[in-house]
Amino acid sequence: MNIVESVKMAVKTLTANKLRSTLTMLGIIIGNASVITMVGVGQGAQRYASEQFESLGPNVLFIIPGSEEAQNRTLDLPRTLTLEDAKAIASQVPTVNAVAPQLQTQQPITYRNRRSSSLVLGTTPDFLTVRDFAVERGRFFSELDVQRRTQVVALGADVARKFFGESDPIGQQIRIRNLSFQVIGVMESKGAFLGNNQDDAVYIPITTMSSRITGNTSPYGTEVTFISVNARNEASVNAAQFQITNLLRLRHKVTTEDDFTVRTQKDALEIVGNVTNALTLMLAAIAGISLFVGGIGIMNIMLVSVRERTHEIGLRKAIGASQQDILVQFMIEAIILSAIGGVIGTGIGTAGVALVAATTPLKAGVSTTAILVAVGVSGGIGLFFGVFPARQAAKLDPIVALRSA
Amino acid sequence: MQPVIRLEHVYKTYGVGDTEVRALNDVSLTVETGEYCAIMGPSGSGKSTAMNVIGCLDRPTSGRYYLDGVDVARLSDSELAHIRNRKIGFVFQQFHLLPQLTALENVMLPMTYAGVPSNERKERAVVALTRVGLANRLHNRPNQLSGGQQQRVAIARAIVNNPVLLLADEPTGALDSHTTHEVLNIFSELNASGITVVVVTHEADVARQTRRIIWFRDGEVLHDHLTPEDLTQMSMVLS
Repeated sequence: MNIVESVKMAVKTLTANKLRSTLTMLGIIIGNASVITMVGVGQGAQRYASEQFESLGPNVLFIIPGSEEAQNRTLDLPRTLTLEDAKAIASQVPTVNAVAPQLQTQQPITYRNRRSSSLVLGTTPDFLTVRDFAVERGRFFSELDVQRRTQVVALGADVARKFFGESDPIGQQIRIRNLSFQVIGVMESKGAFLGNNQDDAVYIPITTMSSRITGNTSPYGTEVTFISVNARNEASVNAAQFQITNLLRLRHKVTTEDDFTVRTQKDALEIVGNVTNALTLMLAAIAGISLFVGGIGIMNIMLVSVRERTHEIGLRKAIGASQQDILVQFMIEAIILSAIGGVIGTGIGTAGVALVAATTPLKAGVSTTAILVAVGVSGGIGLFFGVFPARQAAKLDPIVALRSA
Repeated sequence: MQPVIRLEHVYKTYGVGDTEVRALNDVSLTVETGEYCAIMGPSGSGKSTAMNVIGCLDRPTSGRYYLDGVDVARLSDSELAHIRNRKIGFVFQQFHLLPQLTALENVMLPMTYAGVPSNERKERAVVALTRVGLANRLHNRPNQLSGGQQQRVAIARAIVNNPVLLLADEPTGALDSHTTHEVLNIFSELNASGITVVVVTHEADVARQTRRIIWFRDGEVLHDHLTPEDLTQMSMVLS
């Protein structure tokens, strides 16, 4: 019997038992759909996070408090970074182009009778360069504002809209933590960064922030939350990292463990990659389990089917089917079930991925690898879980098979 | 012309040592081409084992079996499958039609294993079904056919590969007397057209339709050439 005949025969048998065939396929369908959706979502998260960090530009470095080990240990890190550190980096590290220390907290903001809580971000004018922000209307605060600790504020696009609607906020007074600030500018919309809306923030001089709002909380000087640095060019990023580390070690009199970490964009991407890879793997593993269970479902049904069709197998053998013919027949039935299940599951998974991409910021996409792996695996599952029942069928003694009740 | 079946000192034993059972004990038997014979005997007489050996479903433990001149006693499973496909047509008590296939498809089945091209397959299946009087039932499934019709489909399936031997195992065991007649008539017609027919049965009425009766007892051939008349006498003696 050739393959085409065998396939036709298998299709006939499977369609004769539609409900059972469908139920058997269901396991594989669900398994495949979940593998493709989960991998799609995982990779979407990865792509999303990577793009966010890539959008920072390749020259960006971040200096954050606490050593890498300390960051793994606790969220309550020592406030070791100061405004003076930032100044020292700016003046002493030759490969650095611009330095933006950031000191930020959530604060109540009011304008007349409207109030909200937004992120208040104290920084220096270099912030615009380092983080690639721009002012849409008015101006950002200047070096002079920083020196004089003036109470001026540039509003994020969403904050401006929330308080002032269509009217011009420039020159108006808003209150941050009951201190009056004059609006001098409105920022261009930047969208979200890793889920944080950057437009729902206001920007004030870092000196004003530390002296009027947060107070001097660090024993070492004017505390900053972290420092963003822009290296001169992509090639000098590693040099900058090295130089900044050395400088800060000197300044902080580090003898054993660093009390800060300097991260490049590449480091950040790597971390994001590791985290999201683990996430993707975990999701795929969970989905893989359902695929495996689907395979066991196939084996289960095939075994029942072999028992039920003992007469058929005996008859086929009596009229001339060889062991191989029977083996091939049952294998093909298993493979067809899992392959069709695989294709339908892939379709559903693709739809699921499209749904996720349409309704969330995750850049979920169907990866060809995921499809190939899922369909390959489900085909393989058909083979693997089909072999055992098929061998049982092939080895049946025709005499016994025909005589059985 | 060489005989269709030639068994020479065939033994078939099951188990070993103390539990050894001799199902066939030195059976020698010859059935010539064109014969129509019945194998009879009480249960446990070895007639089923003999049928399995003759039908190439089982191998003798020792001895030789020539089917259509070919020594088949030592062939492998797949070679036996090939022999069954080409040389033997089986008819069973329970018909053993595949329920998901139509009459035509059931009859085509042996030809798919023989590798007959599909258009020829259909032609030959139609011819075979016409021969058993079912030309108007080609596309019915088994559950749409009466018992007698199902057995006739099974006969068509048995003859479609032009076997040298039609081997029927209690072919009327599941039929009423009317359809039994139908089926036996078809056997007679097929035999008249030259096909060798061997029927394993315990029904004397069925055996009487044949021309030679082989009587088994205790794994041995007790009578090799009983005629239907002998059978009538025997049954009178027994009753």
